[in-house]
Amino acid sequence: MNVTAYINGASCISPQNTTEDNWFFNDIKLPEGDYYNAIEPSYKDHIAPNLLRRMGRAIKMGVTSANLAIKQANIDSVEGIITGTGLGCFEDSERFLLAILNNDEQFLTPTSFIQSTHNTVGSQIALIMKCYDYNFTYVHRGFSFESTIQDALMHFAEGKNTLLIGGIEEHTPNFVELNRRAKKFKLFDPSLPYWSSNTKGIQMSEGAAFFVLSKDKNEKSLASISGIQTIYKPKNSDELLAKLNTFLKHHNLNLSDIDVTLMGFSSDVNFDKTLSSILPIIESHSCAAYFKHLCGEYHTASAFATWIATKLITKQTLPDILKISSKSPEKIKNILIINQYLGVNYSFILLNQC
Amino acid sequence: MYNPIYITGLGMISAIGNNVEESFLSLKNLKTGIGKINHLTTKYKDEFLAGEVKLSNSELADLVGDKNPELNRNSCLAMIAAKEAVINSGIDTKDGLRTGVISSTTVAGMGRTELYYKELFEKDDHLGVLDTHDCGDSTERIADYIGNVDYVTTISTACSSAANAIMLGCRMIKHGQLDRVIVGGVDALSKFTFNGFNTLMILDREWCKPFDENRKGLNLGEGGAFIVIESEKALNQRKGKALAEIVGYSNANDAYHQTASSPEGYGATLAIKQALQMSGLNPENIDYINMHGTGTPNNDLSEGTATKTIFGNQIPKFSSTKAYTGHTLAAAASIETVISVLSLQNKLIFPNLNFSTPIADLNMVPETTLIETPLTTILSNSFGFGGNCSSLIFKKVS
Repeated sequence: MNVTAYINGASCISPQNTTEDNWFFNDIKLPEGDYYNAIEPSYKDHIAPNLLRRMGRAIKMGVTSANLAIKQANIDSVEGIITGTGLGCFEDSERFLLAILNNDEQFLTPTSFIQSTHNTVGSQIALIMKCYDYNFTYVHRGFSFESTIQDALMHFAEGKNTLLIGGIEEHTPNFVELNRRAKKFKLFDPSLPYWSSNTKGIQMSEGAAFFVLSKDKNEKSLASISGIQTIYKPKNSDELLAKLNTFLKHHNLNLSDIDVTLMGFSSDVNFDKTLSSILPIIESHSCAAYFKHLCGEYHTASAFATWIATKLITKQTLPDILKISSKSPEKIKNILIINQYLGVNYSFILLNQC
Repeated sequence: MYNPIYITGLGMISAIGNNVEESFLSLKNLKTGIGKINHLTTKYKDEFLAGEVKLSNSELADLVGDKNPELNRNSCLAMIAAKEAVINSGIDTKDGLRTGVISSTTVAGMGRTELYYKELFEKDDHLGVLDTHDCGDSTERIADYIGNVDYVTTISTACSSAANAIMLGCRMIKHGQLDRVIVGGVDALSKFTFNGFNTLMILDREWCKPFDENRKGLNLGEGGAFIVIESEKALNQRKGKALAEIVGYSNANDAYHQTASSPEGYGATLAIKQALQMSGLNPENIDYINMHGTGTPNNDLSEGTATKTIFGNQIPKFSSTKAYTGHTLAAAASIETVISVLSLQNKLIFPNLNFSTPIADLNMVPETTLIETPLTTILSNSFGFGGNCSSLIFKKVS
């Protein structure tokens, strides 16, 4: 399957000021603790007050990000809404769970239960847009956003023209606290190289990124997505490299055609092991870059990377803050995202200048 | 070029049996699995009925043969049903063909999380639930249990989840991304979902009565069901046997309300219509409909109206099998796919239990006894919160 999806609108809510119109790696915010919070925009510009009052943060971030992408693409309808989220509407799930546990299954109200379902963001967008078409929600860990791309590309091959895809993740103070107790986190240390850490631990994060995709290029097109592959539990770096070579070959490319490779290092020595092993090869052919120091680690961090890649292609610049080595690309025609989540879910996303 | 998708293996565990054979006997003997609550911890256990799998958590773990203390009920149900489907199909995942696992769940590990959530803040003993709470857990456990799996993903679209997993599997094969896929869904009962549906006031305290004028709501059930689907090429390469063909599928959105279906069943009508279009069949070619038929006043009226819109005065024989299994949420569509294939194979329509009076506005009467009749095509509907409407069409292999 060789299909291209054109990105005509892209928006991102993240720990950086990415909803500011002209943000381009200025005013970088790094965490002082062991997790990141998303910088949330003013929701009231995007969501009606009666809806906003009841929505959890994941829904607010998702609906707003979707709205921003749609505005940028200057369209008013899509032929399908495909969302990805690892944990879904965790805040509402936790609220309903605590109400059950604290009140011995009594005096419960349905709102948080209704909103706890993983497909709430996708269905709220459908309700607001009156979209009766295809509506899907993927909930598979570090493949949640990747699955939305795979699905979209198949839909373009099947004849659809315009789709909205996005990734959403939220955390709550309790969830951060529990993961901290489980020793999954470590303090962010800007003095240490993020991509060659020798200690365990990540910084949990959250955010939302949405993309309006079309089958055909139009005057709004910013970049294109031409390839996606997920790799579940590769045995070692050789297997990952072999899969990468097959993937690139399928798209008639070599590693040296990739101008920038955005790698999903998470600053955990174990999770990053395989990416560290392939880094020398990547560096020798392409400009190796990293991004999770800006967005933190979450199931749909690859949606943030896709948004970053779109920015790099439109600006034709690789800022120093992303670079692993000092090399600069002469041009940015092809970007490859190699992501990993907890050393289990690996993915390749190929973006191109259009 | 026509690219058929074959169903080649079935696996199922639910209130009506721990495997396909037991399920078939219950269906044939009109034996419901819905009864008194034994395994779920809830203060309402004596007030409501549920379709529980008749095994405790430790009995399920023994059946799986996995001693991992973090293995939850949801993942056990998924692994048992998926393994049965793989064995039933006879596929060998080590033969070099590309195998995928596409699963679906709504509750995921919540049934275990809810037991320990409060103590997690003070004690370290069960912090492992943080790693098994999410929807991806059961899917990756299936993949590791079966082995040599190239692709995994998970879908959660409320009560239509498994239909969407099946649909995605078909599309992945048609696009040449995979040769065969183990597709389906799973949901174990939890205090969380039980109380959620209770606050929505859509649980019947007695046996549910789908399509009955006096229906009061649904009975929750639990279970897992998976099917193996294969491309013709993959099937021929191993000289396997097809059980049925999937000839139509569609996903549409009602875009009416977060939890309620539109009175006219707009999304349902769209889903059924598009699935028919894809199959190339006319409404009169459908021999039987396995309805979503949850037994809630809203669903059955909306689904019935959509059925009338499509089929007019020539409504095929239909029934809801939820009065056997209870509403198993994400697993419902795959359980009903297994039931539909059993119908095709055995030329049997399994009845709509507990029905006595037709809904006045519809005047539609489901099958209430076991009917023996040749069947070629079956439509199966699944609808869910968030307006998700999915329909599948199965055909007997000639």
